[in-house]
Amino acid sequence: MNLSSIQEDFKKTVCAQIELKPQGTDRFLVKTPFRFEDGDHFVIALKRESDGWILTDEANTIMHLSYWMDTDVIESGNRKEIVDSSLSTFSVENRDGELVIPVTDERFGDALFNFVQALTKVTDISFLSRERVRSTFMEDLRVFLKSKVPEQRLQLNWQDEKRDPAGKYTVDFRINHMKRPLFIYGVPGEDKMRDATISLLTFERWGLKNQSLGVFEDQMSLPRKPLARFTDVVGKTLSDFEQDNRERLGSLLDEVLQEGEGEKKET
Amino acid sequence: MLIPLSDEEIDALIRERKTTPRALFPLRLVEHNKHRRRDCEVKSASGNEFVIAIRQSVIDGLNFSVILMHRRPGFNTLFRLRRYNGMHGEHTNEIEGNKLDDFHVHTATERYQKLGAKEDSFAEATSRHWNLDSAIRCMLEDCGFDSAPPSPQIPFSFPGQTP
Repeated sequence: MNLSSIQEDFKKTVCAQIELKPQGTDRFLVKTPFRFEDGDHFVIALKRESDGWILTDEANTIMHLSYWMDTDVIESGNRKEIVDSSLSTFSVENRDGELVIPVTDERFGDALFNFVQALTKVTDISFLSRERVRSTFMEDLRVFLKSKVPEQRLQLNWQDEKRDPAGKYTVDFRINHMKRPLFIYGVPGEDKMRDATISLLTFERWGLKNQSLGVFEDQMSLPRKPLARFTDVVGKTLSDFEQDNRERLGSLLDEVLQEGEGEKKET
Repeated sequence: MLIPLSDEEIDALIRERKTTPRALFPLRLVEHNKHRRRDCEVKSASGNEFVIAIRQSVIDGLNFSVILMHRRPGFNTLFRLRRYNGMHGEHTNEIEGNKLDDFHVHTATERYQKLGAKEDSFAEATSRHWNLDSAIRCMLEDCGFDSAPPSPQIPFSFPGQTP
């Protein structure tokens, strides 16, 4: 088979799989071979708007994603950034959940290619929510700390009973009997990091003496801005809870506990 | 790699006796991102946990899904056992190599899990349901739920409408 016949085959095959089916006034269903992971094809409709033609997914893409994941998570944080950038790269608008690309200069084919690429990139977001065994990170951290810190010096889910009887600003692990108790936060994700940031800022406002440590499950996976806010208010951080950092945490605890023994005790 | 559920395990979960959630009658859907939605939790006598998820496009009422999902102990996502879809466009069964363009029902299978695809990638065309109401009824009938009210007595309502 020569190059020109291969090219001819590409053209024939690709074109043959694209079909325009009239449905209603000034509305056509664009049938393509492009589909979601479950075999359902992308919904693409060609519609006339007041000032020209558009291709729209008729809000199907995000609805379809909601079968597999909590779509609220694509409205903030890392996933929102990825979705927004995928759409803007291909000049696709998000109209309250409906993805739309205007057809400019009657370039219908270009608009379709761009639209399909954008839809593919948006649906790839579901790879970030793959099924996995639920994380044991917090449980592992708790077991580790209990093995290193004497029981009478370790408080779990601590709150300042005087200033915060409702327990709005808690500390995962508080190591006491020191002038400046050590507050340790386990940080498995973005929500927890935001809560820890708010708690530490509140303690700062109260003038509550403490030293603090944040242990991430995976710092690299977190969005930059909230991460920057957290690192501004927390004393030290460990980027993950793998073997090297477990050893670092163990050494740090040894130092803190020895330091505490020499100080005037405070509960 | 996660251990796939076998076809026998999937079938047992689908057929297991379940109580029809009261939240379906009347069904109140919440609108967001141009689709209406409702999730209902279901717990069977054996302690298995399920979720019924209902979705319907605001733009195209025939584009809907009624999904029965199982909450696998220890996992972070839900396993889709059955999905009753509207007529949203085409569906292709990758393994069987056929294409549908009709109302259809997705079923989880062992073979698609082993392929690395979504568990409910297999679908068959149906004439048993033709709108959201009948799709819900088919799901209740097929998936071990106790009896649903007969069709005319199901007062579905959407935001802004009286049930």
